[in-house]
Amino acid sequence: MKPVDLARKLRREAAFEPAALDRGKETLMAAIRQEVEPRRRPTIIPQLPYENVGAALSFLERAFGFQVIPASRLEGADGVVHHALVEFGDGVIGIGTQGAHGAISPQSGGIESQYVSVAVADVETHYRRALAAGARIAKEPRDHGSGAHAYEAFDPEGHRWRFVHQRLREVR
Amino acid sequence: MSSPSDAEVIGRSLGEPEAFGLIYDRHAAALLRFLGRRAGARVAEGLVGELFRIAFERRKAFDPSRGSALPWLYGIGSNLLLKHRRGEARRLRASARMAAAEAAEKRTTTAALDARLLFPRVADAIEALPDDEREALLLFAWEELPYQSVAEALDLPIGTVRSRLNRARARLRELLEPKGKGKVRSQ
Repeated sequence: MKPVDLARKLRREAAFEPAALDRGKETLMAAIRQEVEPRRRPTIIPQLPYENVGAALSFLERAFGFQVIPASRLEGADGVVHHALVEFGDGVIGIGTQGAHGAISPQSGGIESQYVSVAVADVETHYRRALAAGARIAKEPRDHGSGAHAYEAFDPEGHRWRFVHQRLREVR
Repeated sequence: MSSPSDAEVIGRSLGEPEAFGLIYDRHAAALLRFLGRRAGARVAEGLVGELFRIAFERRKAFDPSRGSALPWLYGIGSNLLLKHRRGEARRLRASARMAAAEAAEKRTTTAALDARLLFPRVADAIEALPDDEREALLLFAWEELPYQSVAEALDLPIGTVRSRLNRARARLRELLEPKGKGKVRSQ
């Protein structure tokens, strides 16, 4: 037998765990995120806890026009999303499974402990979009003495979001 | 519409890093099997993500005139395996024992005895090759890469790959050849 054929006889396949490829991909995606990060991410990123991250993400995209950063999606082997970053303008916020870092969703805890304020160019248009997507409105849009025009809405798990347009004060 | 080549995807990933995920989806399974054949499942599972992370970080250096990234990925894998030489040697010896046992099942006693002596010698002979020759031989024999791909993987001119493979073949022949009258076949 020729040397190469003899060497071939010792070729043997290994038996892998089914999730081996998923874990490998996570290593790669972490490196990709690392590179994407400094360009896109602000210094402070609030993290909001949810019971159902997947449902929250699709609502936030549909109702508020947020965009999931694809490389940030962390999924379990079962395809369930555990965490993702969403961006809007130059802001970024984390949407994650409750309990993972101590915080719980208002839907589970029964209280709101913070609200998130988001600057938008056109409050009325944003309000109509949110309404059409089924957002529960906490405060109708109105003008504030400070020069702000704002409305507030709840997402499906009861986090409160404030969308605001700050009119520039006239310089005298 | 045809899907973009690896070179196009890697080119795109320079400005849009997430695109590199597609390179993983295309080639990770092949590379995992490669690493597994060489160093076993456990090591391979630990290395496959590492391999693609390194590839991602070096993607600027990928030569876009090569259509497929596969040989380049094999090359990164080969380098990673150098740190796992001991495990590789162990696996090779175990494979030799299994090959011998398999041969014993379906052959005559003499042939089985032959196989029991022969395969461990093949394993030792492969082990004894200089790193660069062993790498060229295994990419060619186990991964069935053509010369051109072995050359791309090891970043060598094709002529050098040819001469390395010839040297490896000669060395194996030499090491497998019965020395003096101490033949492989025993009575």
